[in-house]
Amino acid sequence: MKKLLRRLFLLGALAGAAYAARSYLQGQMPGKETVQIVFDDGSTRSLASNTTEGREFTDIARKLVEAGL
Amino acid sequence: MAERSGARAAQDLDRVLADLRALSEDIDSCAVLSGERDLLSSTHEPGVDRERVGAMLSALVYLSERVANESGKGHISQLRIDTGEGHLLVVRLDGGGVLAATTGQEARVGLVLYDMRNARGEVEKAIAEGSDQ
Repeated sequence: MKKLLRRLFLLGALAGAAYAARSYLQGQMPGKETVQIVFDDGSTRSLASNTTEGREFTDIARKLVEAGL
Repeated sequence: MAERSGARAAQDLDRVLADLRALSEDIDSCAVLSGERDLLSSTHEPGVDRERVGAMLSALVYLSERVANESGKGHISQLRIDTGEGHLLVVRLDGGGVLAATTGQEARVGLVLYDMRNARGEVEKAIAEGSDQ
């Protein structure tokens, strides 16, 4: 019985590790906040790199940083 | 005469950008886009397509204004984008134009933004003098 529980625990740990690795490779991990917008009322909003909105900004910005203004 | 005045305003703007670069050594390049989305001045290297730079900057301003609208805000005052290889920084000017700059990844971004905000008045003055003439 003890042996079975140990095997089940090991199996669960392996499944968890596989899921974490898969999520990481698919970009499911929380994205780094790469865009920070400050509004005229002083409030801010940050957009993460793994969101569609954030990517729109970074794709254009990357080209401008590479080429120069 | 109007052409000469316009040329002088452009020179003033170029001088303001050159001063900003001299003051803030972390800036690699900078540019000014008018409220009508025309690229008024830039420190571009030879070979850089001005129209393309202007169009991409306009697109960024459009995107940020869209986010402001969706968030129920008036306008953006500042935009900071970390690309992983460097930063793109934007400060809004009166009249809807923007002052933009690019830096390397290791730049002191807060300090650069501070210098850009300080240069904003000079840039607005040069634009206003150019449009008056």
